[in-house]
Amino acid sequence: MTMTEPVQTPRRVRGIYHDKFWASVAERRMCLQKCRNCGTFRYPAGPACHACLGLDYDWQPVSGKGTVVSWVTYHRQYLPAYPAPYQVIAVRLDEGPIFVSNMADPSPSPRTPDERVEIVYVDMPDGVVLPRLRSAAR
Amino acid sequence: MNGGGSKLRRTAAIVGVGHTDWAGDYKAAKDGKVRTDAAGLAAISFVDALADAGLRKSDIDGLIVGPPTSYERMGEVLGLDVKWGGSADAVTSVAQACMAIECGFAEVIALVYGNDQRSAGTQYGGPEAMGGDAFLSYVYHAPWGLTSQGALYAMLFQRYCQTEGFDPADLGHVAVAERAWAALNPNAIMRTPITLDDYAASRFIVEPLRLFDYCLINDGGVALIVAEASRARKMAQQPVFIESIGRHDLNQGATSLELRLTNYYLPAQQAAAKASYDIAGVGPQDMDLLQVYDSFSVHVPLALDGYGYCERGEAGKFMREQGIGPGGKLPLNTGGGHLSESYMQGWAHQIECVRQLRGGCGPRQVEGARFAHYTSDIAGKAFSIIYSK
Repeated sequence: MTMTEPVQTPRRVRGIYHDKFWASVAERRMCLQKCRNCGTFRYPAGPACHACLGLDYDWQPVSGKGTVVSWVTYHRQYLPAYPAPYQVIAVRLDEGPIFVSNMADPSPSPRTPDERVEIVYVDMPDGVVLPRLRSAAR
Repeated sequence: MNGGGSKLRRTAAIVGVGHTDWAGDYKAAKDGKVRTDAAGLAAISFVDALADAGLRKSDIDGLIVGPPTSYERMGEVLGLDVKWGGSADAVTSVAQACMAIECGFAEVIALVYGNDQRSAGTQYGGPEAMGGDAFLSYVYHAPWGLTSQGALYAMLFQRYCQTEGFDPADLGHVAVAERAWAALNPNAIMRTPITLDDYAASRFIVEPLRLFDYCLINDGGVALIVAEASRARKMAQQPVFIESIGRHDLNQGATSLELRLTNYYLPAQQAAAKASYDIAGVGPQDMDLLQVYDSFSVHVPLALDGYGYCERGEAGKFMREQGIGPGGKLPLNTGGGHLSESYMQGWAHQIECVRQLRGGCGPRQVEGARFAHYTSDIAGKAFSIIYSK
């Protein structure tokens, strides 16, 4: 790696639906698919509603709010963009699905179950916009 | 319908087992010596299993191969043209063999597995993490740094302790017990006993999981010969029957970790367990030993809970008070498991079931063993196999 090359954000999974998700993130307006038939939100993005098999959906911007469900702290490095120690957090978005992310600064910080958080958008060194988290009041 | 392979009850038996010298290969790999490749490890095991069964290659009319080696390549290496062929993991291979035999496709099926993960440097985490084509959760969250299957179990365990009141210190009982069994097993790779203090002092890898919570990464091979029941009774070894098989898969919410963080896949385990117990007309109290697929120690308390060995949330208490190590009430992973014997992705656990039921395991023998229970839950696909004499 040369001095001019920024550290790469780990690879995003590609696909027709995943790409649309990441496009909404790049606009700093993260959207999830909401089934037009039964209203169920799904994540990761996909072709059909797991609840009713409906094929019609709308991309809906999320409120950004959620509740912490679990977290882990890495004490070793697996990825160039994530030197140890760092924390990964699983959040239940108010829309329903669980969303895995980090605090805006992924260094370990104290967590409590049911803590409220909200999405913020971070620019990674290679230009990828990443939805991350910050503490929220309620 | 309760599910479960009710037609497969005692359809088939394991009549031969074989495996490589994984302890020797582990030492060799550390010295930078690689003796063979994945297919070679499987081939060595196949020859060993044929000898154990008193069979010749010409007796084999079916072949099922465990990833990472391919079915066709193994068939080519072994020189086997067969009436039934497949590619499946350890437990699915046993089930598939029973199904093929019950349907009349074949009568004597070889199940073979070889894995050169150590010498080949297989990555289970990081940019080249394997398994993502089968399990999207292994790769989808990488942009946020979530990689490695151990981290998925760490995330589960963190939540499990919150909701079930499990004391993280109790997790150490798994590593300690498996190492104690391995100390009694001349085939095991890690044989030096460890204590709960050793466990608590070991470094975190992905907190809350520590070094001793993770399975070995080593080269090795396993082969099993499964034969139709009436043929099995005429063979060299005492046959070990597949008494019953239960299976239940949870796929919904897989990638977002929904189930890992809510029901811990326990409903899949309960359903698979019930199916296998009901078909065989037995319960957990009848099992003389339990082999749990344990790529991480966390699988064990989950299995004690899910497969009916203890009350919900009481797995820590069970391990502390009843014991799962030598001398304990429930002998568990009696060869040392994935943590201390060898990480053969469930394959070696089948051998241990067979050997315990045949008798002759020496210091680790579970006296008078009649029923051996194998359970696995990999990402919510739960199996329960009961072996019997």
